[in-house]
Amino acid sequence: MLTIGRPTTTAQRKYMMRTLAFMGGYVAVMVAVIFGAFDDIQGTPAAWGLALTVTAPIVGQIWTTLAVMRDSDEFVRAVMAKQFILAAGISMALFTAWGFAESFADAPHAEGWLIYPLFWASLGVVAPFIKSSN
Amino acid sequence: MRNRLKLLRVERGWTQEQLGQALGVSRQAVNALETEKHDPSLDLAYRIAVLFARPVEEIFDNPHA
Repeated sequence: MLTIGRPTTTAQRKYMMRTLAFMGGYVAVMVAVIFGAFDDIQGTPAAWGLALTVTAPIVGQIWTTLAVMRDSDEFVRAVMAKQFILAAGISMALFTAWGFAESFADAPHAEGWLIYPLFWASLGVVAPFIKSSN
Repeated sequence: MRNRLKLLRVERGWTQEQLGQALGVSRQAVNALETEKHDPSLDLAYRIAVLFARPVEEIFDNPHA
């Protein structure tokens, strides 16, 4: 959650509801994948459709993040930007390191879509510590 | 940035929420200003100055002076 504490403004409430909706969509597709709902489309053009479908909630999340930043005051906007940048940076750094570990250190393979849950985990870790815009 | 925002707010008996509404910012923003966790933009600093009818320099210490 990028907002600080409980949502107190209309923009923050909208952000929370939209985030839950987009995250719900992403989780629903992931659960369906895990339970084999799309096993039959492997190797077909429909698989590309699935790949794009699961991307839609992520694009939606970026949109709602930009929307809440637009509708928030300068302090909330600055803190959200710091949290987002830090979480994205940590996720990219960890995944890049893991990719090289796969290539050169025989680390087990990690699917590319794991970057999104990794981002949220990173955000959950860093957000409570980012309370200043300075 | 050191400031006298909390003092001015308390003098008027306002809550952070009420000051935030008067300035058009969130309660979190008011709290961050009072605890020096946010340096206001020039626009916000002037809005605060107008609200309290004081020059900006009387509310915020100039760190470069």
